[in-house]
Amino acid sequence: MARDEAAALAAAYVSVRQLIAEKLRYLVPMTILFMVGYVGLTILAGFAKDCLGTKVVGPLNLGFVLIALNYLLSWVLAIAYGRIAADKFDPLAAKAAMEISQSGTTR
Amino acid sequence: MSITLGIFIVILLITLAITYWAAKRTSTTADFYAADSRLTAAQNGFALAGDWCSAAAFLGFTGLTALYGMDGAFYALGPLVAFCTVLFLIAEPMRNTGKYTLGDVIHSRMQTRTSLLAAIAGTVVVNFAYLMPQMAGAGVLVRLLTGISYDWAVIFVGISMIVYVAFGGMLATTWVQIVKAVLMLSAGAIILVLILTQVHFNPLTLFAEAEQKYTAKYLLPGNYLKNPFDQISLALGYTLGLSGLPHVMTRFYTVPDAKAARRSVVWVMFLAGAFFAGTTLFGIAAADFVGQDAIRAADKGGNLTLPLLAQYLGGGKGTFGGDLMLGFVAAVAVATILAVVSALTLSTSGAIAHDFYVNWVKRGQVDGKREVWVARATSVAIGLLAIALGVLAQGVNVAVLVILAICVAASANFPVLILSLFWRRFNTGGVIGGMVVGLASSVVLAMIGPAMRGADALWPLVNPTIVSLPLGFLGAVLGTLIWGRDRENEQRFDAFLLQVHTGVASK
Repeated sequence: MARDEAAALAAAYVSVRQLIAEKLRYLVPMTILFMVGYVGLTILAGFAKDCLGTKVVGPLNLGFVLIALNYLLSWVLAIAYGRIAADKFDPLAAKAAMEISQSGTTR
Repeated sequence: MSITLGIFIVILLITLAITYWAAKRTSTTADFYAADSRLTAAQNGFALAGDWCSAAAFLGFTGLTALYGMDGAFYALGPLVAFCTVLFLIAEPMRNTGKYTLGDVIHSRMQTRTSLLAAIAGTVVVNFAYLMPQMAGAGVLVRLLTGISYDWAVIFVGISMIVYVAFGGMLATTWVQIVKAVLMLSAGAIILVLILTQVHFNPLTLFAEAEQKYTAKYLLPGNYLKNPFDQISLALGYTLGLSGLPHVMTRFYTVPDAKAARRSVVWVMFLAGAFFAGTTLFGIAAADFVGQDAIRAADKGGNLTLPLLAQYLGGGKGTFGGDLMLGFVAAVAVATILAVVSALTLSTSGAIAHDFYVNWVKRGQVDGKREVWVARATSVAIGLLAIALGVLAQGVNVAVLVILAICVAASANFPVLILSLFWRRFNTGGVIGGMVVGLASSVVLAMIGPAMRGADALWPLVNPTIVSLPLGFLGAVLGTLIWGRDRENEQRFDAFLLQVHTGVASK
């Protein structure tokens, strides 16, 4: 492998590490958010039944309100992920893909 | 009955026409397993919705909510939240590293024959554990809805799925799922509007009425899942198990690239999520309008709740509108089963024909024409086996298998998949360890639990994921450490990561 090809390959690996670091920066908090939201709700359902039975709006209790908020959270996260991926991840992925194609080792 | 049958025959003719059309466009292996990766994100999103909403979702969630209140709503929420995991961690890497199967991903990371075998085992066990209750459910449901006998119902469903898959491959399977998703969402929308007109567009009235009729306890958690750890176990099983279900994950191969895979997940989250949210309202409405007694009288498990609600909303028993709505919902329920069993058959045939026969036995040295032939023949064989198992399953408690499918997916397939994608030191020993421990702990705990042994259970939880999932991860980590360092594999990891995150494969 020629020297500049090896350099391009190394550059591609560095770009991928950057991409992974960028992904972790967003995905770790987002994953914690939905896991805490949903698993936390089921923990409350198991151990704090009466708390979930507290009436919030008319006949609607806290449990159903939290369930509704979980739906909302999933949808908001889905849209947010789509935006973040397009703005932050895709350019980095494109950069790495370009570098690897310059290295001439693509199959 | 006759309206149901009429509507269903129309749906069947449409799906057969689709299969005829798809069969003419299915000639290569890529066509057969992945519809040549030419679907759009929206098409795949609808197909995912059709794939993921099984009869357990379509009929089951509504029934559970009607009979047990809030626990049914938890059952419905989980399958949506599960797609967050898929969106963040799985969909794009799957698309970037695999070709047709889950085994492809593991194999492209490990490049060892043993790891491929482990991946095949995970796929086949999960798919059959999922397929058998679907067949048994189809038998019961079609008998209840149309009056034909259980055995004939199973045979009929089995033959239909064999025809779709063997002739039309992924393209036909996909369009059957899309048709079913559109029908299901239309049925949901009609029912929702009819419910809202009954309560003057104030859904809170539904809750107030339910509380009045069944006391405030009905709207509390814990009526169905008595053990608090079962609630949590269910949540874990869903959020992580979906990522280990091969028949859903292989849908990401049908789109051209990772961006389309990502967009298709956003589609399914809105389509299926809206339907799941709907089932909670439908269930409470059914408890109000139809009544729990009438629901239990029709089917103890509450599986006929949605058809009964539709009948009520259409004008009630004996009216034309009522019969039409009942027939429509019942026919959609049967279409639902067909869409799901087809996907399971296709994905299992991928594991047997592509992973096992072509890549393991023949080490990839099979020409394209023969591979397609083997794939079609395998799907016929799997379909026939599914029919036999479905017939044998009559009267057998298949509830344990439903739990097992999602539990094995979460405890064996998920750890192996996620560690393959993200852990440099993970190796073939880890794949074996994760699969064996995840599988064994799920099977043993499910078999000695209440779903199988009822009151004689040796173990308190219906769903063992809360224990088997950590065990699966532990097995994967210990397997990796015992196997020892695999330097070549670790060096290859940079190139693999590049492929995971960009889709570009390098030497």
